[in-house]
Amino acid sequence: MYALGAPHRRRTAALLADTPLVLLLVLGAIVVVAWTLAAAGVVPERLARGVTAGGAQGALLGTAVAWAVSRPDARAAFLPFGIATVACGGAVAASMIPFGAAAYLLAPLWLWRRRARLGGLCLDAPHAARFTVLGVALGAVLGVHLAITASLTLGYRVGRPAVSVLAPWLAYDAGANVLAAECFFRGALFDRAQRRWSFGAAAAVATAACLARYFVDPLLPRTLEMAAGAAFYVGLLSLGNCWLYWRTGSIVPGLCAGLVFFAMYRLLHVVR
Amino acid sequence: MVAVLALVGLTAVIALLEPAAATPWRHVYFLPVVMTAIRHGTGAGVLAALGAILLFGPVVLRDIERAGARRAVTEGFVTFALLLLAGALVGALASQARRQRRRYEALLAAQRAVAEASPLAGALGRLRAVLAYRLNAQALGVVVLGPAGPEVCGADHLQPSSMAASVVRSGEALYVADAGGGRRPRRTLVVPLAANGVTVGAVAIERHGDIAREERDALTGLGAALGLALENARLAARQRTFAEELERKVTEATKRLAEMDRLKSELVALASHELRTPLTAIQGFSELLATRPFAAAEVRRLADIMRAEAERLGRIVADFLDIARLERGLPLALRCTPLDPAPLISEAVEVFRRTRTTHRLELHVDGALPRIDADADALDRVLKNLIANALKFSPAGSCVRVRARPEPGAVAVDVEDEGPGVAAAELARIFEPYYRAPSTAKLERGTGLGLAVVKSLVEAHGGTITAQCAGGHGTRMTFVIPALS
Repeated sequence: MYALGAPHRRRTAALLADTPLVLLLVLGAIVVVAWTLAAAGVVPERLARGVTAGGAQGALLGTAVAWAVSRPDARAAFLPFGIATVACGGAVAASMIPFGAAAYLLAPLWLWRRRARLGGLCLDAPHAARFTVLGVALGAVLGVHLAITASLTLGYRVGRPAVSVLAPWLAYDAGANVLAAECFFRGALFDRAQRRWSFGAAAAVATAACLARYFVDPLLPRTLEMAAGAAFYVGLLSLGNCWLYWRTGSIVPGLCAGLVFFAMYRLLHVVR
Repeated sequence: MVAVLALVGLTAVIALLEPAAATPWRHVYFLPVVMTAIRHGTGAGVLAALGAILLFGPVVLRDIERAGARRAVTEGFVTFALLLLAGALVGALASQARRQRRRYEALLAAQRAVAEASPLAGALGRLRAVLAYRLNAQALGVVVLGPAGPEVCGADHLQPSSMAASVVRSGEALYVADAGGGRRPRRTLVVPLAANGVTVGAVAIERHGDIAREERDALTGLGAALGLALENARLAARQRTFAEELERKVTEATKRLAEMDRLKSELVALASHELRTPLTAIQGFSELLATRPFAAAEVRRLADIMRAEAERLGRIVADFLDIARLERGLPLALRCTPLDPAPLISEAVEVFRRTRTTHRLELHVDGALPRIDADADALDRVLKNLIANALKFSPAGSCVRVRARPEPGAVAVDVEDEGPGVAAAELARIFEPYYRAPSTAKLERGTGLGLAVVKSLVEAHGGTITAQCAGGHGTRMTFVIPALS
């Protein structure tokens, strides 16, 4: 037992320790260069948008990976750059070439192959099977509620979009949107916060950060009701996912909840 | 489940009867929310309120869509806020009451656990089990300071730089949000066990769930109460041990008193008999001499018998007086003079040779004995007592050997018989006053004082006496008196 049998040392590591500042600076510089070139007409604007989206996802994933490395060594320093490159590549490919959105799926594959080194994210969580089902249920309940509410109030309807329209969005959610949110806001930020503060405080911090991320997302519709809806559902989803992470120590149940919820959202979003 | 069904059912009723934000049916949502909060606490209360909001939300939002933000719509939003508030507040109150009840139950159970009569280690084990269950702890340890160092329950040992050791030293509670080493944070709280303002130990709790500040304060209070309970248990255990010890000592003393009483009665009976025998002989023979005429030779014989009996009487009385003196802590009165022990030994043996013809008496003096500083009368009593004992406890016709020999700086005298001997267990006690070995007591009567007086006399001369017996082949008594330097 720790309290009786282990020497007690107060941990003083900061909440944001091990943040890959070099990576963030490099990504920022790349985005600036991309927009400069786009303004000069050297590259198309959609490339600059792709680089920006990829840079944002890469920053979240890179930071999450840097915080989650279980054995810090010389090679570990390159892991955040690796996932950021994959994320940027996915976003650029999705913006530039047909079926390029499939490249988003490289990010989860990249993480899965390195899951043993990324102990903090706990990607293989056989103990969390029951909570994974709960995550799916949470995503489904919120998604169905969103669909019903939106179709009752805002003129949206649940439809059957074409696979060519739906698939890129699903790939984006699986490989960038939900993956980056769960890796950073649950696997990294909430994980560190819950080891310092109570569950309530940690969940509030992670949820506030998560909401901020969605509000700065240029892909989110800017109408008031959509913003209020996003705050409500993303807030609930974030709190639910924090609870799932709190109980399991794994981001897998939260990933499932997010994927199911956003899948429902995509069904709604594409039909007006 | 009942709450979910109630919420869904109520929403169906509202959807069918009056699907409007200001419907009076919306107030019914409070029932399942409050019931859930009372039954399951804050988390469940808030969840039930969120469920109600999620279910009633589309109705309110549709009103907004249709008619804009009217007063009726505002009422719907106020209902949302009140539902959340009711769920959270009622749940918090219910949770607080439940936590308080659990703490009292834990304290009561812990007090019961430590109050049971058992060693401290057992009480700590029970206390640990009770607290782990009552406080919903993943791991729980108890440390109690004892006279032989800290008693630890829940770990192999107490690490000197651990949280618990630190709390025991400082008397202040310690809390860490994560003890580390796991996928989930392990909250760790260590509270001191205090009794009368003194830290007597610590309780350490590790839990995956939160330990809120209010609970930490309450657990610190619980630690103080447990410290008192443990101290009381320890005092009670000490009292029990003392009572048991006292009872054992009283039983032993009672047994010894009974034994002494028995010995005293036996001694009185023996002494009466021992004194009466020579008295009867003296009385009988003196009456004969007074009432009948006898030949001169016969008169001398009877007078010799009377003198011998009077001497015996004198020896018994002398033994009693000596023992009484020794028991009062007074030394024996000796008149020591330098003397040659050889003639004294020969004379004593000769006396018995003349009077006891039933045994063969052999005397061996090995070389010239050194002179000793001794009381001649006392030495004579020692020799006669040992020879008389040897004759008394050996069969007729057997041989009693007396052997005197010089030792470095001393004179040693052995008196050896061919009797049945004394059991090894009895040998150690034969020099105790009043003790009579059961194996020999049946054969001859006596006061049980002879050997005790002999030992005292030998020791008064600065000597020693020992008894040896080799498995039923007679007894050898050896006394050693220091020689004159």
